[in-house]
Amino acid sequence: MTSELDVLRLGPACGAPMRRPQWLPTATVVIALTLTASLPGCGGGGGGDAASSASAQAAPLGAQAALGEKIFNDTSLSASGRQSCGTCHVEQGAHGSDNALPAQFGGPAMDRQGTRQTPSIRYLATNTAFFFAADGTPTGGFFWDGRTKSLADQAGKPFLNPVEMANAGKAEVVTRLSRASYIDEFRAVYGATILDDADSAFQRITLALQAYELQAIEFRPFDSKYDAFLRNQTSLSDQELRGLALFNSPAKGNCAACHPSARGSDGSMPLFTDFSYDNLGLPRNVEITANADLAHFDLGLCARAGADVAGRKDLCGAFKVPSLRNVARRQALFHNGVFKSLKDALTFYVQRDTSPEKWYPKNADGSVNKFDDLPPEYHVNVNTTEAPYNRRTGSVPAMSDAEIDDVITFLKTLNDGYKP
Amino acid sequence: MKLNPFTTATALAALLVALPATPAIAQTAATPIEAELASKLDKLSAELAELKAQLAQLRKQNGGTDTAPAAQAAAGAAATANVAPLGASATANAAGSEQPATVLSSYGEINLNVPTNDSAQARADLARFVLGYQHRFDEKTKVVAELEVEHAVSSAVDAGEVAVEQAFAERQINPAWAAQLGLFLMPIGLLNGNHEPTAYYGVERNFVETAIIPSTWREGGLQFIGSFDNGITLNLGVSTGFDVGKWDADSIECVDYPLACIHQEMSLARAHDVAAFGRLDWRGVPGLLLGGSIFTGGAGQGQPNAPSSRVTMGEVHARWQPGRWDLQALATWGAISNTAAFNLPIVGSRALVPASFGGWYALAAYQLWTQADYTLTPFVRFEQYNTGRSYADLGHGLTPPSLPTQQVVTVGLDFKIGEGVVIKADYQDFKVNTDLNRVSLGLGWNF
Repeated sequence: MTSELDVLRLGPACGAPMRRPQWLPTATVVIALTLTASLPGCGGGGGGDAASSASAQAAPLGAQAALGEKIFNDTSLSASGRQSCGTCHVEQGAHGSDNALPAQFGGPAMDRQGTRQTPSIRYLATNTAFFFAADGTPTGGFFWDGRTKSLADQAGKPFLNPVEMANAGKAEVVTRLSRASYIDEFRAVYGATILDDADSAFQRITLALQAYELQAIEFRPFDSKYDAFLRNQTSLSDQELRGLALFNSPAKGNCAACHPSARGSDGSMPLFTDFSYDNLGLPRNVEITANADLAHFDLGLCARAGADVAGRKDLCGAFKVPSLRNVARRQALFHNGVFKSLKDALTFYVQRDTSPEKWYPKNADGSVNKFDDLPPEYHVNVNTTEAPYNRRTGSVPAMSDAEIDDVITFLKTLNDGYKP
Repeated sequence: MKLNPFTTATALAALLVALPATPAIAQTAATPIEAELASKLDKLSAELAELKAQLAQLRKQNGGTDTAPAAQAAAGAAATANVAPLGASATANAAGSEQPATVLSSYGEINLNVPTNDSAQARADLARFVLGYQHRFDEKTKVVAELEVEHAVSSAVDAGEVAVEQAFAERQINPAWAAQLGLFLMPIGLLNGNHEPTAYYGVERNFVETAIIPSTWREGGLQFIGSFDNGITLNLGVSTGFDVGKWDADSIECVDYPLACIHQEMSLARAHDVAAFGRLDWRGVPGLLLGGSIFTGGAGQGQPNAPSSRVTMGEVHARWQPGRWDLQALATWGAISNTAAFNLPIVGSRALVPASFGGWYALAAYQLWTQADYTLTPFVRFEQYNTGRSYADLGHGLTPPSLPTQQVVTVGLDFKIGEGVVIKADYQDFKVNTDLNRVSLGLGWNF
């Protein structure tokens, strides 16, 4: 249910100014607790506290969340009548896309393509509104560019996005809602006259969706093999452990620098994202319709709606660090869905700078057009300082082919739904 | 050893407690030997009675003081050695009735470090500024507190921090034993309890007692401090301990300072596990201190992310001050149990929890020149330590190798002005990572 259907950015490293502040885990948990506590009917959880999760049984949804679930799956709320939140955030795709398209199609005739990969909306309960951390790290926010401040705020956008559910305005959404089979439940929860004011009714729609995403256990199951391993309920194979070591190693994958793999100091389960941003210099994806226009560039953070950070040209090309939970289920990776397999994605990480000719097209003069999805003036923003990017053409990559396979084996332990 | 009247009185009070009156034991003796011994005891009793009378007189001269804190006695006994009993140092001069009820104290240090191979990394820092107070409610009861600012400025965008380093109440139970309850400095090592810049040599505190023993190390708890006229001082207590769940696998600080990485400083400290500690010092010969201490405490704190584990550490120390010389040595070791279970999920990370660590140092200082209240003391210190001496086995290819053992030689000068101000200069030579070699200058004060 995002207006931009983005991808997973599997970033093993972040730009130096974007490092995770040490206090973030605690802060996010506190915020999460505050948030969940303030929501009627919310079951809490989200951040994955130690006691919660896998073994936790799904509690019955509260009235607001139950309503949210109906709205989440209601295609009648779209202009096409064929698209709901759940159309793009498919449960089988870990509430992300379940196909290899770089961006999904929507609009009144379901023929308009978005520009970004659909991110998974699991494990977002502890995410926060966007802010710059004390050390300058851009952090938090929802969507690939962090432009909305909460799950509710995010949930409202796709209804009005012309390439998604394509309603002309909030009133149109509410009119469609008034014809829904569950409208009496909606009135029962929010008041008999709630539909009289479109803005209020639309806000309740987003709150119901937020309640559903926060309360339903499927958005935070914490039941992967890795979770079981952290709970001492199972062990990892030798290859999985090797992969974990490479994932954590600052000299190898350095993945944990942005995708923390350890429990928080409060015992919370790792989310495999620090909610920061990074600029990876991904290759341009010609599968995205908008990229047929050579003058079109998706600049991410600095170009987001609202233009609140438009002056920060150093953030052009930066996108949010996604969780790596369920990454092995993804069929298109990164915000522009340019890679279709983990093997390609990880190899890109370690060979982007050692063998750029593998990833980018050539210019007319035969030179490699590196970072071709960014205007030349923003190439300087690409992270080239941290492992595994801190290499030069011809250098030995940070990881070998066999080591990449180890990491992939480990990443597969992050899929939800592990049955010992 | 020069003893003032009050100190004498205190020592005598301790003696009186240790040797209760024993009237006419000789009359009941069964054998000649027993009779001889009993006779001697009777003589001692008589002498004791005489001393009691003298003591009463001395007490009158001291304004009616009727208590004699053992800490005072021990501090007096150690005065020549300049080594105050740990945990009782703050009491040392405060018991006299001429002292005000509330005493303000402070120390500070301003340091300049210049790496010799990279002067661009030079740093000038108001490393510590501490304000403290002691308030005595009566002759037996007081509170002590210290508030510290590190690195001059503490704010959301500055590196400094503000911390309460000590906050405890102390009660003199009897002439020999005092009890402290609250947040106090752990009686481990030579530096931790006497960490003011005028109390140690060199601009920076030594590495062994910062990287291995996490000075300034404080815990919340209860301790008893016993000081005896035979020169023995005992500390026994229970306290909060470490929280291995605080370990940050991405932090280089955890590599360099493993226990400082998981200490709690009584800031919402997890208190599921109780730690115990003890220390024994002997100052039976003027100028000499011999002692050791041990600490053990659970570090899992009952948290799901931290398997049951235990931090255990110990140290032995010696200080000898013959004439103008000041010779010190300390050896320490530590271990954290059950680290494999904790390390496995963070395998490959920058910092894994070590199974063992330790180190030692030796220092020689010589009071080269004195004039008026100026004192110039050159010193040399050799340190050897390893913050990751061993790691628990995680399997082939996954168990990290031991860290290299660090060796540091420090050569420097301390220039004291009176007892309260010191100007320092030293050069530190690092044997493993020579990039760290540095020249340092420092100003310290303490009152």
